[in-house]
Amino acid sequence: MHEIQLACRYLQRMKRIFTATCIGFLVVTAIGAEDERLYVNNKKVPENRQDLDAIQSTLMKVLPRARAATVCVKLGKGSGSAVIVSPDGLVLTAAHVSQDAGKKVTLVFEDGTEVEGKTLGLNSETDAGMIQIVTKREEEWPYVEIDRDDASILGDWVFALGHSGGFDKDRGVVVRLGRLVRLANSTFQSDCLLIGGDSGGPLFDMNGKLIGINSRVGKELQSNMHVPMTEFTKYWDEMVKGEFMGEGPFAQKAVKGNGYLGMASEAHEGGGIKVTVVGENSPAEKSGIKVGDVLLTMNEKPLSKRDDLKEIMKDLSVGDEVVFELTRDGKKETLTVTIGER
Amino acid sequence: MSLEAPYRSTGKAMMQVFEPQRAVIQKSSAVIMDGRDESAYGVVISPDGYILTKASEFELLKDPQVLIDRKRYKEVEVFGTDPSWDVTLIKVDATNLTPVIYAESSEVKTGTWVVGNGATSMFKRRVLMGVVAANIREVPAEGGLAIGVQLKMEKDQLKVEKVNEKGGAHDAGIKEGDVILKVEGKSVKKVEDIAELLNDKEAGDKAEFICLRDGKQVKVMVELKVKKDLFGGQMSRNDMMSGLFSRRRSGFPRVLQHTILGARNTVGGPLLNLDGECLGMNIARANRAESFAIPVENLKEIGERLMKEAKK
Repeated sequence: MHEIQLACRYLQRMKRIFTATCIGFLVVTAIGAEDERLYVNNKKVPENRQDLDAIQSTLMKVLPRARAATVCVKLGKGSGSAVIVSPDGLVLTAAHVSQDAGKKVTLVFEDGTEVEGKTLGLNSETDAGMIQIVTKREEEWPYVEIDRDDASILGDWVFALGHSGGFDKDRGVVVRLGRLVRLANSTFQSDCLLIGGDSGGPLFDMNGKLIGINSRVGKELQSNMHVPMTEFTKYWDEMVKGEFMGEGPFAQKAVKGNGYLGMASEAHEGGGIKVTVVGENSPAEKSGIKVGDVLLTMNEKPLSKRDDLKEIMKDLSVGDEVVFELTRDGKKETLTVTIGER
Repeated sequence: MSLEAPYRSTGKAMMQVFEPQRAVIQKSSAVIMDGRDESAYGVVISPDGYILTKASEFELLKDPQVLIDRKRYKEVEVFGTDPSWDVTLIKVDATNLTPVIYAESSEVKTGTWVVGNGATSMFKRRVLMGVVAANIREVPAEGGLAIGVQLKMEKDQLKVEKVNEKGGAHDAGIKEGDVILKVEGKSVKKVEDIAELLNDKEAGDKAEFICLRDGKQVKVMVELKVKKDLFGGQMSRNDMMSGLFSRRRSGFPRVLQHTILGARNTVGGPLLNLDGECLGMNIARANRAESFAIPVENLKEIGERLMKEAKK
């Protein structure tokens, strides 16, 4: 059994080298040292000190870039992880971390820098999710390359990163080394140790290429599941567009019309609706809405009676933001309110 | 298709390539037994039998015996303890042991291979392997509370050696020289007793302390404060020794985190690098995926200090 596995691996490697040479000079020069498969991956098990050193030095070489692109995702009381995959800030994570499209999230880098992100689409059946960084800056965002070739083989050495148990600036991102122990169609299983907080974080091959996203812990201590890149590339466009795919179990579509703003209003002569009551500690109060404000538009839709507001709220969920244009004491203002839970 | 168990990253097939490090563990680690049960491990630090081990585990043993290499020692001398690092110095009557060789520094890169004690048999030590997983850092006491005193054991009594000006103990009038007799109505014999009794408290809560001062018993209410508020800026070693009442999976001034998962109580043994040098001593299995070791610089200092006191 082992011999057959070794032979298959050897053939695959030979095939790759053969293909590369045939395609031509350009391709050969493009395939740098980094893309070469770590030789230890072709061994059933490391055999000597040199093999161990090779794993260690390769890991240390690719770690800095991997760490720089791995962020902590803050979600209310809990947290997860995610990884940046493009210089303009496209981020991959787990669906059960991002939970729905169009939500505001905070992403924290290892050095403590916080940026704002917006959740994009997800696949609630495979646990694939996407986020886009919305904070603007001149420099490119640190990012990692995705393995688009599905090049991983059973037994490959891999490493997982994550903000285990939550963000800890002194500790930094946690690194775990392991091997791929099972490859199924929509799940990779490794023996890297994962705990809560690691969800959504990256799994890398020894070239530092992203091959999976941490999804869930397995029954055994050393059996942990990751979403393979194929699940992302299959539905890439849909996710970028913000589509919520699948019927769960990793995310549930947000219930619409389940939130509240915490204010009462009545039609106002001259247009808009006038705020008559603002609830204590309500979402409206927290965002600065005051009694007497005349709300003119809500998410750019004009308001002329109280029911207009109710209609718009029916389509929105807890956590969504609404933008009001209003006049206060004759002056025009714009306020944003986050819909709260009843 | 799955990868067979022996070939997993810490499986049996990996043991062969770690034989050189296992050979060091064979000679330079101690197995602390309770009668016939393996209870903890220890680090051999001198040829004549001084060993460092985890204090809070060792304390629980009724009939401690030590196994080093293939020899069993039935008599164990117990010397001093460092409560803030949870380390105890013990000694067996031995000659020609191979002590660990300390690595120059524990500040090795994340991803460095490390090796520690795994299951053992009477004659053969086995190893487990992993990698350094995170930056060296302090692990604050769970709850992170303190009353702000430095304690020492003197003739079986818990005596206050120093009082932190910012702490609740200072506010309550506790002084140097006070002996702590009772906390929350219960007698206390050691630092861990206090930790147990204050376990459920939160920052700002007050606890009743009965102290012996100049021959008289004094009762005071002491406020528990968040540790960080007591120590502005850098913590000195003395600061770190002051009443950090914590369970012993946390409250360590400095830890090296790694991915070797021993059982909860089989800690205390050396953590080796691939060259067989000691990077530290395993001190805690913190949770499902995190293990901590005391870094070598601190371990060396603790060992030297405790040995010096022992030889007085």
